[in-house]
Amino acid sequence: MFDKVLIANRGEIAVRVHRACRELGIRTVAIHSTADADAMHARVADESVCIGPPPAKDSYLNIPAIIAAGEITNADAIHPGYGFLSENAEFASIVEEHGFTFIGPTAEHIRMMGDKARAKETVQNLGLPVVPGSDGPLGPDMADAKAIAGEIGYPVLVKAVSGGGGRGMKRIDSADTLIESIVGARAESKAAFGDDTVYLEKLVERPRHIEVQILADNFGNVVHLGERDCSIQRRHQKLLEEAPSPALNKAQREDIGQRVVHAVQELGYRGVGTIEFLFADGEFYFIEMNTRIQVEHPVTEAITGIDLVREQIRVAAGAPLGYTQEEITFSGHAIECRVNAEDPETFRPSPGCIAGYHPPGGLGVRVDSAMYQGYVVPPFYDSLIAKVIVHGTNRNECLMRLRRALDEYVITGVETTIPFHLKLLSEPDVVNGTYDIQWLERERES
Amino acid sequence: MSHPDIDFDAIRALASILDETGLSEIEVGEGDRRLRVARAPAAAAIAAPVIRSVVADDAAAVPSIEDAVIDAGYPGAVASPMVGTAYRSPEPGAPQFVKEGDTVNEGQTLFIIEAMKTMNPIRAPRGGRIARIMKENGAPVEFGEVLLIIE
Repeated sequence: MFDKVLIANRGEIAVRVHRACRELGIRTVAIHSTADADAMHARVADESVCIGPPPAKDSYLNIPAIIAAGEITNADAIHPGYGFLSENAEFASIVEEHGFTFIGPTAEHIRMMGDKARAKETVQNLGLPVVPGSDGPLGPDMADAKAIAGEIGYPVLVKAVSGGGGRGMKRIDSADTLIESIVGARAESKAAFGDDTVYLEKLVERPRHIEVQILADNFGNVVHLGERDCSIQRRHQKLLEEAPSPALNKAQREDIGQRVVHAVQELGYRGVGTIEFLFADGEFYFIEMNTRIQVEHPVTEAITGIDLVREQIRVAAGAPLGYTQEEITFSGHAIECRVNAEDPETFRPSPGCIAGYHPPGGLGVRVDSAMYQGYVVPPFYDSLIAKVIVHGTNRNECLMRLRRALDEYVITGVETTIPFHLKLLSEPDVVNGTYDIQWLERERES
Repeated sequence: MSHPDIDFDAIRALASILDETGLSEIEVGEGDRRLRVARAPAAAAIAAPVIRSVVADDAAAVPSIEDAVIDAGYPGAVASPMVGTAYRSPEPGAPQFVKEGDTVNEGQTLFIIEAMKTMNPIRAPRGGRIARIMKENGAPVEFGEVLLIIE
């Protein structure tokens, strides 16, 4: 087992990783920008290293600074968290080259799944259903693109191969707008991701977003930990997630779980991973695989009782899983609500000083956050400030519990999306679980 | 006159010791004979209490370099632009780049910071006298930590 882990991240996930390390008896090193000198993740860690000025590119994305921090503290391993460098294959390589263990999959798997077109092709060959599409990146010939789109059937989506997480996609409703949309998408992709390669996909109407959590050790043992339904999204960003999905029955769940486990086993993957699907009309369509721990992992932890970050660290240290699929049990229901420091109606970011802070508690309530009274939320990073996760015996109990918990939650000094979530939780479609990934946008438009 | 019981030599010796040492009183004893020489106290120079006005404005005295909290904002502080291990000479055994009291020119190499097996020279941002070196040879440094002070 590792002696010391450097946590290459900030905010709530850095605190999360620190907690798992602590419980394993591992010492922690936090890295922070000058803007985060008083951040909780830097304060709770055993050691901390200031690695740069506020901008992420000079700090949390600064590979030499992070590696140097690992060198001067003699860390054994580096945990990348989510976002930032967690799915940067070059970072994973450099970490390993410098003698640290990267807590995650191999650089090769990160690279494979980071290229969205290649990922799709790979999993299709491994037996997973995919969204009908261009079978690889689009070439420069627009006539080809037109033909493919015609075959798929409109509406289609043009997507950036280097995109993901909901970024770099454009809807195309007919052949008339195809060429200008593809040209526009290429330009945006180049600007955002440094790569203008795109592919086409059928636009699945009113799908749900259902993802399956997997965990694999270095010995070929793979298990799935059930699915999460993350259909409540705004601009492709998830706001509310739950496990299990209200839309799946037991047979569907077991079927997709087994197919995913088989694919991951064939891949020789290690660590945690999430396979994301669109689900419509009873059919699954693979969209992407995330090769890191995800923001919404706590809902899976709630229903399985398994500490996913601890498992990540254990398997990275070379330990076998130690349990089989049959030994994993699922209990009750869980819902997570992401609280952002944003105006609850316009979603405009609201950084500033947290004047008053009192998180909710009670049975079945978990709050993952790096906030404290007096902390100044900096303007340089994303606006997620807390996750409220409730666990209950069934979905209705969770809804009641989440409403109660959000009512108790006091955060003053900054705007938060708590009022937005409270409204959401009283919507009949949310209460009934009958929503899809476009539901929220449709509601806001009407 | 002679006083056989009075040891004049001892008295003179004690008196000159008083002068030499600036003491105001010396007493020596042997058995039950004691000899004490004392200087009459000079008129006490009563030091008029100096009323220090607390200057609460811009003219704040810079605290002595030993006492001050040295951070990147301290006048003349040269802060590290990177994370790594700081070295004071180009290689082990070689003479140090600079030491306290040296005068340096702008651009002169002061330290090397090693990170990821590369050596990065840290150069003087301007000329001046090295008032204090904050980091020892081989010390780990964070971004923004003060390496030295150039007056």
